[in-house]
Amino acid sequence: MRHHSAHRARVRAAIGTVAAGAILALAACAPGAEAPTDGEQIEVTTELTTEEVVLTIADETGFPVTDALTEEFTKQHPNVTFEITRDTFQNLTANAPRLLAGANPPDLIRLPTIGETVKDGLIANLDPWYEAYGWDAWPASQLAPMRMSDEGIRGSGSLYQLGLGYSITGIFMNLEIAERLGITAPPSTMAEFEEMLATAKAAGELPIMAGDSDGVVNFVVQAAMNQFADKDEFMSWMFNEPGATYNTPGNVQGAELIRTWADAGYFPSDINAIDYFTFVTRFSEGEGLFTFNGNWAASGYQDALGDNVSFFLVPPINEGDGHVAMGAGNSFSVAAGSDNLNEIVYFLNWIHTDPAARQIIVDVTGASPGGDPTLPLPEVAPGSLIESALEMSAQIGADNGQVDFMANTTAGIYAGSIIPESQLLVTSQITGQEFVERVQAFYEQEIGG
Amino acid sequence: MITSRTEVIVGRVLLIVALVLTLIPLLNMLSAALQPADRNPIGLSWPSDPQWVNFVTAFEVGNVWRLMGSSAFIVLCVVPVSLVIATLAGYALGGLRMRGSRALLIVFVLGLTIPFEALIIPLYYQAQALGTLNTQWAVVFPLIGLFMPFSVFWMRAHFVNVPRELSEAARVDGARLWQEFFRIQLPLALPAISALTILLFIWTWNQFLLPVVLIANPLDRTVAGALTFFQGQYYASIPLLNAGALIIIVPAILVFLLFQRQFIKALLQGAVKG
Amino acid sequence: MSTTLVSNAPRRAAARAAARRADLTGWLLVAPALLAYTGFVIYPLATGIQYSFYDWNGVGVATWVGLDNYATVFTNPNLLGAIGNSFVLIAFFTIIPVGMGLVLATLIRSMRDGLALRASQTILFLPQIIPLAAAGIAWSWMYAQTGAVNQILGWIGLEAITRPWLADYGTALPAVGLIGSWVLTGLCTVLLLTGIGKIDTSLYEAIRLDGAGWFREFITITLPGLRQELAVLVTLTVIAALSTFDIIYTSTQGGPGRATLVPGLLIYRIGFTQSDVGLAAAFGIVMMVLVLAVVLPIQRLSRASDQ
Repeated sequence: MRHHSAHRARVRAAIGTVAAGAILALAACAPGAEAPTDGEQIEVTTELTTEEVVLTIADETGFPVTDALTEEFTKQHPNVTFEITRDTFQNLTANAPRLLAGANPPDLIRLPTIGETVKDGLIANLDPWYEAYGWDAWPASQLAPMRMSDEGIRGSGSLYQLGLGYSITGIFMNLEIAERLGITAPPSTMAEFEEMLATAKAAGELPIMAGDSDGVVNFVVQAAMNQFADKDEFMSWMFNEPGATYNTPGNVQGAELIRTWADAGYFPSDINAIDYFTFVTRFSEGEGLFTFNGNWAASGYQDALGDNVSFFLVPPINEGDGHVAMGAGNSFSVAAGSDNLNEIVYFLNWIHTDPAARQIIVDVTGASPGGDPTLPLPEVAPGSLIESALEMSAQIGADNGQVDFMANTTAGIYAGSIIPESQLLVTSQITGQEFVERVQAFYEQEIGG
Repeated sequence: MITSRTEVIVGRVLLIVALVLTLIPLLNMLSAALQPADRNPIGLSWPSDPQWVNFVTAFEVGNVWRLMGSSAFIVLCVVPVSLVIATLAGYALGGLRMRGSRALLIVFVLGLTIPFEALIIPLYYQAQALGTLNTQWAVVFPLIGLFMPFSVFWMRAHFVNVPRELSEAARVDGARLWQEFFRIQLPLALPAISALTILLFIWTWNQFLLPVVLIANPLDRTVAGALTFFQGQYYASIPLLNAGALIIIVPAILVFLLFQRQFIKALLQGAVKG
Repeated sequence: MSTTLVSNAPRRAAARAAARRADLTGWLLVAPALLAYTGFVIYPLATGIQYSFYDWNGVGVATWVGLDNYATVFTNPNLLGAIGNSFVLIAFFTIIPVGMGLVLATLIRSMRDGLALRASQTILFLPQIIPLAAAGIAWSWMYAQTGAVNQILGWIGLEAITRPWLADYGTALPAVGLIGSWVLTGLCTVLLLTGIGKIDTSLYEAIRLDGAGWFREFITITLPGLRQELAVLVTLTVIAALSTFDIIYTSTQGGPGRATLVPGLLIYRIGFTQSDVGLAAAFGIVMMVLVLAVVLPIQRLSRASDQ
């Protein structure tokens, strides 16, 4: 036995030494490669090729608009066909940088946050085409969130993305419940809105249908913040400008308001068990006076509730103040390594300018098609929620009130901080001040580290 | 077998409770799968109008044929290779116990403690370097490696318990090693091997993390990854999700039932008396 | 390693030659397994350790940061909280399933082979066949406010304690843990049955003739006979507990707040969503060391048993 254990000790020591040596040797050389340098310059053209081309698109599941758009495009230009791969939003965003860095990147990819992809040279700078196609006629505020400067700050600099439709968020109201409660018109101020919430609560109706198992209550949290915060200050934080902070008096006020709503029981008691699909379904089935959501949900609510639902912008603090609402392009980027840069950008430009394409965007997503505002808007059913959505988009454009979603601030902030902290906020576990401080702390860590 | 009456009664009652608890979530899945696809199912209740069509929809929406093919390919690569090389290694470490086997065992056992998550990041970059990324091979190779610690440990645990007199008797009879292995050891090892087969099959079939990370196209993954087909960012249907999940587990159940008859017969034989 | 003692020298030499041949054969037999293991476990592990010393986003240039990533793992309360949660899960992934498995395996053993036995076994094993991801989905609305759990509690007059189990800060982690118990009990039962099958039945007959009850029989025969299997199961289930991913990913995503956040989910998020490969790798290494620290004593016990 003695020699046995001595032998074993020797074996262990040997394994240990070899392992340690190998690790040290490995650890000494850095992983990763140099950032790819700009490849060969290609000639920018706005003419579509006549050769046979297959364009590849990486999109998220449950987002059928690319199917309809590519089908229409191939109908108009039979030499161009498409291959679309789909994955969940979560997986796609997690895999995006590595997909783009791979040997065969997709030509076009759904990319909610530019993040570090620009720094790593993974996505194509669209400036040459911006000039060539004359995109300066498009609303600058819509394109700003899709720009990034050389310093890695979003909001200005070169253009790296375009939207397949531009979304707008607001409040949906169940008119049947509203009528029972004596509510006849949408609120024009936050105070009026709060009165309606109290009325609903007193009458035993659920004031706000919302869910937060996957963070969607942040449509409500940010909607409140938007009304109190300085819009430009808020945006500068979302664009990661140096020194920008989330911990502003306006944001704290907005978060504290959410806390008072939580204390008052305006949210479902099982809010943290409700995900997006569940809260949409429950509102569609007639539960809740209000719900906060975007234009993409409009046609679903219309189908479920018919004429008993309306859609409007979140009211400002004071009557007559400009509206502020979250909205963003359903942003797609072109891979820097794409072999078909001219072709895929032609496709993007076509989506913004071709009447059939613009009609598809509106019909399928309910989003505004973007592009030159002087172009005629697609036809929609009069009095429909989609019509409201397009009017709201126009209103926000006129008020210059569009802000990005705070979930897009950094790649990791939504899952890593905003979701868990908002779950605590809407169940009265932390104050609005704590919410804002914790999110800012995570932000500093992610940006700094 | 001698057992007392109370023991039998208490035993049966506990067993029935355990069986019911096991089945409820599965029945709940079925009842949910049969609700209208655009509804949010509530509780455990048999739908008044069962929507069997959900299974058809889930099958089509989820591209289940292609996914089953992809899963079957991964399973057929991983399981037989793992079984063969783990059985050989288990026999060497547990039966032959050659010099150095104890050190090797420690090396393998240490591997037993490595969670997949600890390796997933390096495995990603390894697959990228090997050029297997986004193909089924990116999952096949690592899975064989990752299954080795358990498989070798499991087979060794079997061979270590085989009475040494058996192999020594065979050797005295002048049997060569491979003869001894095929005639004596392998038949004895069948229960252990069939149990391992079932485990490896299920673990491969249900592998979630590796395919999700290493294969970009969901259609080239295992069926477990197909569940993500129904979970879009803003779109999901719990009835369809459950219908899809039920479709996905059927092949696994079939394989289990198929193997199980052999499996149970073999394990009831118990150890061979020297 | 001693072979049968023989008296004369030529036979001893032959025996030694045979032993050397057996050594070589042994290594040849282990080689394929060792190769697969080295290539896809040891090598990635070494590169993981390498990454853990760098600040790297997975694509661009990496910067050496020494032990900074490890410092973050041990000082960031969110990361530490996740480690704490995973230890709580051991109670549900290991203690409950192994305990239940022992009880059930003992009971099934005394059943005569037949349809009832086979059916029971099959049913108990079913949860193990289901993808964990599906189990997470199925259970997350079993646990919902309007789900089956509350419904059943209502039937038996326990309306007072109904709640959205996964959204309640106090119950979320145990509720997730019970999903693990549900999944792993079948595995434990079936594997322990394999073990009991290997125990000599005459031992049971002897102790029964001795007048022993089921408890003494269990303590003196079943339990010692199952040491190997128990070691395997405890190891497996502890690893399952500490490396939970699929169930959390499809049920709570770590919520509410961070009540069910576990290292596996954080590694995925930090490594792939936040693209902080170095920190994720370091967390992975720490996680592995923790598993080792818990599991090594168990291995030692089982090794002592087969000397």
